[in-house]
Amino acid sequence: MALVAAVVVAGPLLDAAGQSYWLVSLTRALLLSVLAVSTNLAWGVTGIFTLGQAVFFGFGAYAAGLLATKSGVTSLLVLAGAAGAAGVIAGLVIGAFLFFGRRRVGELYVGLVTLALTYALERLATVWDVIGAANGIPGVPLPTLLGTEIETGLPFFWVALVALVATFALGAWLLRSQFALVMRAVRDDDERAEFLGYRRPQVQLAVFTVVSGIGAIAGALYAVEEGFVSPSFLGVALSTQVLVYILLGGRGTLVGPALGVLLLEVGGQRIQESLPSEWPIIVGAMLLLVIMFLPGGVMDLRSLGRTLRRPAVQPTSTMRPEVAGADPHGE
Amino acid sequence: MPILTANSIQKRFGTVTALSDARLEVEPRQIHGLIGPNGSGKSTLMHVIAGRTLPDAGSVVLDGQDITRARPSDRARRGLSIKFQLARVYRDQTVEENLLLALQVGTSMAGLILSRSRKRLRSDIDRILGDFGLMSVRHRLAGELSHGEQQWLEIAMAMATDPTVILLDEPTGGMSRQERSRTGELIRAAATRCAVVIIEHDLDFIRELCDRITVLHQGQWVATGTPAEIERDPRVAEVYLTRV
Repeated sequence: MALVAAVVVAGPLLDAAGQSYWLVSLTRALLLSVLAVSTNLAWGVTGIFTLGQAVFFGFGAYAAGLLATKSGVTSLLVLAGAAGAAGVIAGLVIGAFLFFGRRRVGELYVGLVTLALTYALERLATVWDVIGAANGIPGVPLPTLLGTEIETGLPFFWVALVALVATFALGAWLLRSQFALVMRAVRDDDERAEFLGYRRPQVQLAVFTVVSGIGAIAGALYAVEEGFVSPSFLGVALSTQVLVYILLGGRGTLVGPALGVLLLEVGGQRIQESLPSEWPIIVGAMLLLVIMFLPGGVMDLRSLGRTLRRPAVQPTSTMRPEVAGADPHGE
Repeated sequence: MPILTANSIQKRFGTVTALSDARLEVEPRQIHGLIGPNGSGKSTLMHVIAGRTLPDAGSVVLDGQDITRARPSDRARRGLSIKFQLARVYRDQTVEENLLLALQVGTSMAGLILSRSRKRLRSDIDRILGDFGLMSVRHRLAGELSHGEQQWLEIAMAMATDPTVILLDEPTGGMSRQERSRTGELIRAAATRCAVVIIEHDLDFIRELCDRITVLHQGQWVATGTPAEIERDPRVAEVYLTRV
């Protein structure tokens, strides 16, 4: 809540101060947060180690870009809906290939297949003329909502914020549900879950499909906000970047991945611009430090603070996702 | 009519023959011990029955249905439940969450997302926690429980799915005498509702608890009978004597 409140205040303040550059950066970070938060539901909560989640982001971006430029569709709801549907279908097809089969699916298998997929699709998008090849899709028009054009800046900031809040709400609802127990069971010991009677492939496919749909919506919003679709939206760089956000913010937590995005994309923006060549090294070093000293990401700082404040004789509790720590009966 | 039958099971791992002619027949609500020296194939047979390992030949029949090649989840939904040799509970979830996880297996995915069965299952959780003496640790993480408590929690989870057959692989492994005795009581109580198959090295425990015992040796069936019959059987004596 504190994060959302801070962002709600930051948007209008930046707009009032005429800081449109930072406002656009924040808006894009919010949309990347949608991708990171949803990917975390697959990887952090269900244990699906997807190294190619940008594929769905890219599908959404291309679906929206093509619809807007070739068919003249500008309705934000239609564009987002079409992108979401494309993401869901792609998630179903790819997920069915990944999760169904006689053999148990290991994290490494999913990681390698999705990595290969994101690489191959980025290469394909770079040479396929129908979707603009290496030039991508330029000139994507601004979308409309109920007949009114949504301009970049503060109007689009609100759209991005609503998308992120909706993703948080969906995630929180899911993590409080009985289904969350199954998601974590599949992550922690999928074989045990199967011996209890849970059909692992169905659980993984359901999560993967929903997450892919959300990722595609994020991609569509990103494309219409930026007015451009690039083959890199489907690519390896963005796919791995998402994992960096999650690791930095806190894998398995609801808010952590969004924090990771804000830290790197907004907090680190000036450094990124001043030291573009050194930036990957800086991110790598940060990641290394986080993995070594804060394995639960920056969200670990909260539990670290609680531990330090607690009398030494009390046993420390195991770090749990903030939503997962709620009363299982929701009472 | 037996509730569980394993017929002429064969299984090879590379050049090693783990099972060459393993058999098991379990009647409803029977406590059936599966014994044999180390390497006799007990755990492999258990895994074949549970679906962790597929046999090269032979068949497994549960309640009249051939489940030889069924997925573990389908076997579980048909009434087969297992407790592994090393307790496999969800260590980062609470005792109550572990039980809810087992109890809610029959709820549809939509029902789970909408948390439809949570309130209804709460009374079942209370009953099971009481039966297994875990009420005082219901909100603790399973990973924080003692070894014995983790074993009981896993048996409780296996029982929570309302099985027709429960497979217990060394349920008293690493337990104190007192905990073993308590585990025996829990197994007797379980057998009022379903058949129980136990692998156990503690032969005294098996003798006291089981209605019937099957002996395996080098992957082959040797004998099946009551504890008294097994004790008198010269083939069994030979198996245990020849390994020394």
